[in-house]
Amino acid sequence: MSDSSKEEVRITPTYTPIGINGVSWVMVEANLFEYPVPKGKKPALFGSLCTKCDRVFFPQRELCPDCFEEGGMVMKRLDSKGVIYASTLVQIPSPAGIKPPYAYGYVDIPVDKIRIHALFDGTDLATLAPGTEVELVIGPFAVNKQGQNIIGYKYRPVQSRRV
Amino acid sequence: MRNVFVIGVGMTVFGKHERSLRSLGYEACLNALKDAGVKPADIEAGYCGNCLAPALQGETGVGQHVFWEAGIKGIPIINVENACASGSTAVREAWMAISGGFYDMAIVVGVEKTVMPKGTPLNVGTGELEAKLGEVFPGYFAFVAQKHMEKYGTTREQLAKVSVKNHENGALNPYAQFNKPLTVEQVLNSAMIAEPLTLLSCCPNSDGAAAIILASAEKAKKVGKKSVRLAGSALTSGTYENQKDFTGWEMEQRAAKQAYEMASIDPKDINVVEVHDAFTICEIVHYEGLGLCSAGEGGRFIDEGHSWLGGKVPVCPSGGLLAKGHPVGASGVAQIVELAWQLRGEAGKRQVPKARVAVAQIMGGAKGSDTRACTVHVMIKD
Repeated sequence: MSDSSKEEVRITPTYTPIGINGVSWVMVEANLFEYPVPKGKKPALFGSLCTKCDRVFFPQRELCPDCFEEGGMVMKRLDSKGVIYASTLVQIPSPAGIKPPYAYGYVDIPVDKIRIHALFDGTDLATLAPGTEVELVIGPFAVNKQGQNIIGYKYRPVQSRRV
Repeated sequence: MRNVFVIGVGMTVFGKHERSLRSLGYEACLNALKDAGVKPADIEAGYCGNCLAPALQGETGVGQHVFWEAGIKGIPIINVENACASGSTAVREAWMAISGGFYDMAIVVGVEKTVMPKGTPLNVGTGELEAKLGEVFPGYFAFVAQKHMEKYGTTREQLAKVSVKNHENGALNPYAQFNKPLTVEQVLNSAMIAEPLTLLSCCPNSDGAAAIILASAEKAKKVGKKSVRLAGSALTSGTYENQKDFTGWEMEQRAAKQAYEMASIDPKDINVVEVHDAFTICEIVHYEGLGLCSAGEGGRFIDEGHSWLGGKVPVCPSGGLLAKGHPVGASGVAQIVELAWQLRGEAGKRQVPKARVAVAQIMGGAKGSDTRACTVHVMIKD
């Protein structure tokens, strides 16, 4: 994410219930995570675990495509730590309204043995090379046509936590 | 299963057109009907490949609109959407119907208008989570390029050569959107889109249409003076393996194997190929996926000149998607048009001498880290 999007975090109310003027933010998609992240809890993505074969999926799904057993899936909070598998910097606007340049790619979550498509924090590819340890951040990453912040998830390098 | 023949082909010039979808589709259909020497009343079924009209033009039922302009009415008409493989899937559906004995003659059209203001990526819908979270096609293929470079030592220069080759071919094709040759330096120094893919490593947005007439052997014998056999057709979908290797597509290898078996050919029999070179890296991976060379050898394959006109198996003599253009739903049909011309010896300055066996490959759509649809067609001049 660019520095300008960090500015938006500061000027945006954290939460406005549905009212006369609508809401100030909207989740990119339902059931991906909790927002605002409850106090004392680590941010986490919500995946599904197949209780038969132990395979983990994200986003959540109803049925394991391999086991085909109804009711065999349970919700699982994914580990917030990951390792970058691939990253690139996009120099064109995304059709979904993300302004360039922005970085995205894939993150492997070793604990859950799953690879996740994700936006990255920052635009310096040197800090986002494959193999880099990253952690999950949940927050606004774009603004929709109604002026609402879109709340999604992204990963940032672990060492930049205190910067 | 019965033999199926391509008895007529036609297309519009690809590029920017200030004309409607139906006008473009009509021109392609008319050209194909004339080429086959048949009349609209001879056609028993119509198949239309289009991907983005509902999103970009707010139009549905494109097949009925286009075929009516060409005087084709009353018969079954099927609209097909399968991302970049929309046109080729329509070809396959028509092929199956004739092969299965349901019809003796069918028309397939692929038509699309995607030209947008400069620098606008193709909006293929933002309904999926990945798209909402920044996924763009050049980004996905950038990962494929990075992993291929990392695993096999493929170089930026080798990637760039795909664009150079296809622009050189496009300059020989009057139907191509781009008619100017490029240098490796121009490709490498053009604007960065998604590391390591530059602007000239990406195919353009295009408008255009292509059409073919397919017929059974009996009908082909009666009317088709120049028919070529559509000897194999395969369509696969992805398996969406979560931690898949990014350097190749299992679904492409599977489609190639099926189509080759159906046509009783071996990769070494192939004389000319059209692939889905939406991005330079794609063509290199497709050399490997189609068995033109082994895995990891794609970069060397273009370096050594094998896929250039004059090489052992020219790939994308039409200019491919990179130079001929990529009107999404039309591309899969246009590949068959080009290969029919090649097999008939009518490809002009870009003719591959004595071409007898031709292969068309196209794939489309992203799902997970896989793609959604891949077709491989084999055409033979008997």
